[in-house]
Amino acid sequence: MQGVFLLGIIIFTYLMVLSKRMTSLIRNFRLQSFFLFLATGWLAFKEQEITLGIIAFLIFALKVIAIPQVLRLVIKKIQVKEDLGLFINAQMSMLLAVLFSALAWFFAKYLVSPYPAAGAIIPAEALFIILTGFFLMIFRMTALAQVIGLLVMENGLFLLAAYISGGMPFFIEIAIFFDVLMSVIIMGFFVYRINKLFTHIDVNKLTRLRG
Amino acid sequence: MLLLILAILGIPLLLAAGALAGKRPGAYGLLNALGYLVVLIASSRLLAETAFSGGALRLAGFFYVDLLSAFFILVAAVIALATALYSIGYIKKDIAKDIISERKAKYYYVFFNLFCFSMLFVPLVNNLGMLWVAIEITTLVSAFLVGFYNTKKSVEAAWKYIIICSVGIIFALLGTILFSYAISLSGGIKSLNWTDAITLAAKLNKNIVKVAFIFILVGYGTKAGLAPMHTWLPDAHSQAVAPVSALLSGVLLKMAIYAILRFGLLVIKAVGFAYFGNLMILLGLISLVVSCGLILVQKDLKRLLAYSSIEHIGIIAIGLGLGTPLAILGAFLQVFNHAVTKSLMFFGAGNIVSAYDKHNIHSLRGVLKVLPFSGVMVLLGVFALTGLPPFSIFISELLIIMGAFNKQEYLIAAALLFLLAVIFGGFIYRFSEMLFGKRPKDLPVAGEPLSGKLALMFLLTLMLAIGPLFMIYYKDWLWMVKNLFQL
Repeated sequence: MQGVFLLGIIIFTYLMVLSKRMTSLIRNFRLQSFFLFLATGWLAFKEQEITLGIIAFLIFALKVIAIPQVLRLVIKKIQVKEDLGLFINAQMSMLLAVLFSALAWFFAKYLVSPYPAAGAIIPAEALFIILTGFFLMIFRMTALAQVIGLLVMENGLFLLAAYISGGMPFFIEIAIFFDVLMSVIIMGFFVYRINKLFTHIDVNKLTRLRG
Repeated sequence: MLLLILAILGIPLLLAAGALAGKRPGAYGLLNALGYLVVLIASSRLLAETAFSGGALRLAGFFYVDLLSAFFILVAAVIALATALYSIGYIKKDIAKDIISERKAKYYYVFFNLFCFSMLFVPLVNNLGMLWVAIEITTLVSAFLVGFYNTKKSVEAAWKYIIICSVGIIFALLGTILFSYAISLSGGIKSLNWTDAITLAAKLNKNIVKVAFIFILVGYGTKAGLAPMHTWLPDAHSQAVAPVSALLSGVLLKMAIYAILRFGLLVIKAVGFAYFGNLMILLGLISLVVSCGLILVQKDLKRLLAYSSIEHIGIIAIGLGLGTPLAILGAFLQVFNHAVTKSLMFFGAGNIVSAYDKHNIHSLRGVLKVLPFSGVMVLLGVFALTGLPPFSIFISELLIIMGAFNKQEYLIAAALLFLLAVIFGGFIYRFSEMLFGKRPKDLPVAGEPLSGKLALMFLLTLMLAIGPLFMIYYKDWLWMVKNLFQL
């Protein structure tokens, strides 16, 4: 069962790399978060951990429902172009994503090295997601896509935190969660301001400050 | 103890609430400055308690204050007081010139106080996860102060700042999670408390700690402005409100250094000093080289100062990386001295920019004639910043270089001396062009508000006072450093 959820997360991560339009990026992000919710929820159920269950619920409430909805509203309100502005085309991006997964695998194997490599699967997947999020932030040129890239990186971190240490101390995880929420709200605020001042949200064209 | 922490954290929060409720933001500045005077007194008391007892103070498992934290709190409190003083006149002038409205000035004080609160919070927490949260809050709050003027440039700077620092800090969170993994592997406990971590440090899995520290260094290094992760820094520093530039450069960067040091102490215990030291020296040298090159070609006054911050952070990193007691003491003094001197420079630059309405160095002439007081202060500040005696940075840089010679790292010492000499030349060239010369005809001699003068005098006194204090107390200070790092 767990394998299915983890596979779901990977598939939607790849699909996000392939997305060319804002709406499909948001949809894939929502589905990735949904599978993350299933994976953590399953783990919480299996290990009978209430705190992990609460985390799973928060993932569902915020990352599956609230944040994608807000992002959609923002798009409607500021009427940005649908185009994501790929800096690197989809095929090339896919190749790089495959490279990331290999990289993540070797790195995770080193990390757990005295123990059998089977334990490296989840850290590898988490690292792969983090790298992909990082990639999205750098090579997609709209400000909103950068916000999503950041959220993807965080999804990777939550997966890692949930599995490798059975979760961090509970109140820390809650604090981190609200911090993330705050940062998304504040970034949304700045996207709005950028759009108002520049009449676009193409980060590549923000070049007033150099040197 | 409880009272001290309550004062240090409570006063900024109260002031923020007061600013939000207050009716006349123009007059709020004075109350604000008085509040930070109390914070400064409380934090020096806290430093005295931890320094003389040599131990650590704990409160409810959540707060943990040792000498390291108390020192960084003091740095924050000193600069916060100076900034609060300087803000009084600066914000009044901005309102008078109609750059910002009264309503906006109110929000300035709200965010200013929240920013100070978040930075004072960072060194107080015991939990490494909470430390991450605190540092992320500093980014979120200060982004508003960077984008405060709501111009195209400032919003662009704020966006870059918030995005680059958020990505950086995600890597720091990854490092923190890996540390928690290492702790749960070797200790069987689910805890991220620094006090628990340091008792387990010697037993931690070496591979994981090594990898985790790289992430920590990339993450918090971004926030500290270590090259090559420094790209947000010149934009944010040059676009922020002038008093906030001082806070960013003087305190915020140092808080990231504090976070690196907290983890560094664990790493030193777990895998030995060489690993920590080499990484710090490497990043420090890269920062020095990058900033040196950019200082030479920089034409914007505030960006020039921002690159100089990268240079000084690099020097601090090298001092910590060398790891001899002299060098580490030098690095700590450098943290304080740089904060004080750079704040003075940013205040001076703020006065210059608001008098001339330009920041390009080539179009600024005759500053000494237009702004006699700030001009002299900036001149002294340039000498201090480039490491001339009798100012305090001379002492801390000398200590770091002596540390390098003691450790027979002649190459590092030579590189430091060479780069410092080049930067000295660049600074003197740029600033002499700007400070001397005739007064532009269309500019009258500008008056300066008393509060701004007071802030500059306060900082100048500190710059001069560290020298004599060092002569008297250096044995005690060396002992404290040895104790802290268990050298």
